[in-house]
Amino acid sequence: MTPIQTTTRPAAPRSSGEPSTPAIRVRGLRRTYGQGSSAYEAVRGVDLDVPTGSITALLGTNGAGKTSTLEVIEGLAPATDGEVSVLGFDPIADRTVLRSRTGILLQRSGFSGDLTVRETLRLWSATLTSPRSVDEMLALLSLEERADVRMLALSGGETRRVDLASTLMGSPELVILDEPTTGLDPESRREVWTLVSDLRDDGATVLITTHYLEEAEALADRLEIMHAGRIVRSGTPTEIEAGYPSKITFAEVPDVPDDLAEIRRVVHAHGRTTLETDALQTSLSDLLAWAAHNDIQLGDLDARSPSLETVFLSIADGRDPADSAHVTPTQEGALR
Amino acid sequence: MTALAHRLSLRRTASLTRWNATLLSRNRLALFYAAVMPLLPLGLLFTGERGSASVGAGAVVTMFLVIALFPVYYNVLAQFVSRRDELVLKRMRTGESRDAELLASIALPGAITALILIAVAIPISAAISQPLPVNPLLYAALAVLAVTMFTAFAYWTAAWTKNAEAAQLTSMPIIILASLGPLTNSIPSMSDRLRDILSLTPGAAISDLVRIGWFGLDGPGATKATLTFAETWGQAAGPLLVMAAWTFVAVMLARRSMRWEPRA
Repeated sequence: MTPIQTTTRPAAPRSSGEPSTPAIRVRGLRRTYGQGSSAYEAVRGVDLDVPTGSITALLGTNGAGKTSTLEVIEGLAPATDGEVSVLGFDPIADRTVLRSRTGILLQRSGFSGDLTVRETLRLWSATLTSPRSVDEMLALLSLEERADVRMLALSGGETRRVDLASTLMGSPELVILDEPTTGLDPESRREVWTLVSDLRDDGATVLITTHYLEEAEALADRLEIMHAGRIVRSGTPTEIEAGYPSKITFAEVPDVPDDLAEIRRVVHAHGRTTLETDALQTSLSDLLAWAAHNDIQLGDLDARSPSLETVFLSIADGRDPADSAHVTPTQEGALR
Repeated sequence: MTALAHRLSLRRTASLTRWNATLLSRNRLALFYAAVMPLLPLGLLFTGERGSASVGAGAVVTMFLVIALFPVYYNVLAQFVSRRDELVLKRMRTGESRDAELLASIALPGAITALILIAVAIPISAAISQPLPVNPLLYAALAVLAVTMFTAFAYWTAAWTKNAEAAQLTSMPIIILASLGPLTNSIPSMSDRLRDILSLTPGAAISDLVRIGWFGLDGPGATKATLTFAETWGQAAGPLLVMAAWTFVAVMLARRSMRWEPRA
């Protein structure tokens, strides 16, 4: 995509609230679908703060409640219970005020297939108070060559880029992106990452959901991990990963001792031995010393620090080691 | 006016309407149903005695109902349901467009087409030896009420219509409601009880108001214009009340049942 500088309207000064007031504040949010015996509670008491000027990523498995939460924040659906404040406003009662200050990208949305890309952006432009030019948005999302193609002829990735162009056309100070890179090829995904980072650099606040963990790690200042309708982990990537052990794995050695330095536990499974530790270097040194002393070859040795993927999979599998009694989180804020 | 301005930006509504009209013009079948087919009933003017008021009333009533049902009712229903289904409306609601603007912009291309056709029918009919409307104001009021009512019925029907294909079935109750009424004027032997019931339908009110307002016909069996401009007001009070009541009911139903998300 053409390296055009994104422009974002600076956050309007607010008469009430300090500069540190979060752009989005959610307390005790609940959202229930259906009634009576068929009722399903998709969001079960979510508390969430999205700091102004940050990129916050909302992660979770399918059905975790991310989109249900976002729809309330976006003012597209009412909360069953709880309080939601967006830029200091109620997202439904004050929707008219908020719409000119927010850019929203839905997980799934549609455009009239009989309009061309340029016509679609012109239509969107005509609804905005202060739109950027259509040509600028076409260049920003690398859509110039597809400008006169009808929407129904676009690929999924191209349609997503038109969607993004619409979202950013009003220079919003708050941008809510629900899985913005789904359907994009790896190169386009990286370009969107740059675009989102530029938004933050220009002063915008971004709330993003994604299934790509590397995307969240690359972009987000803060992570909120949802599971079964609740936020189960919250903090910076470092804070969140801090509660989780590093892992040393190698081809199974049945008699490896469990009292090596700083080792939490030893697991033998699927032909491999896994050591979980809070001090990777210390434990690894001790392991290598033990192996050398006993003349044992550690085949296919692998040692790695905790990753977001580790955290995510642990939560998704319901075997979250940070919930275990053995775990002492190094960062108080990493647990909620 | 202030309340309306609070709910609608005329600039935005005009822009959205223009794009909806563009989309309508690119769908040739929808364009034919909206702009051409409603005038076909005027071909009935070439049948029977040239210049006959009863033949003229039959043709204009049929045209009026086709206009109410196709460019207005079915067009709005199909447009709204298909755009809701394709999540176009959901996307538009994330932007600055207000709900009232989206609803108005979907309805206006069909409504404007309908009003143009209703107006164009006057010179076309006159060219085929039919008289000019006795009470043009009544005719205009009927046009506005009919367009409003059937637009509201379209939004109400959309609330329980799953997709554009299903609209072919879910639209039937309103089409039947509109089509049965004119029988009160075309079947003289109908029992009084049935006639009284049918005269409360919007179709009957449209039929009565065309016969009274344009042709000055006094009662179901009349074939000659006898009503003056002033007399048409008194005769029209009943059917006007029926039209106003149905319009009120349709608007209330639409307001209470508006659905922006696709039906599961």
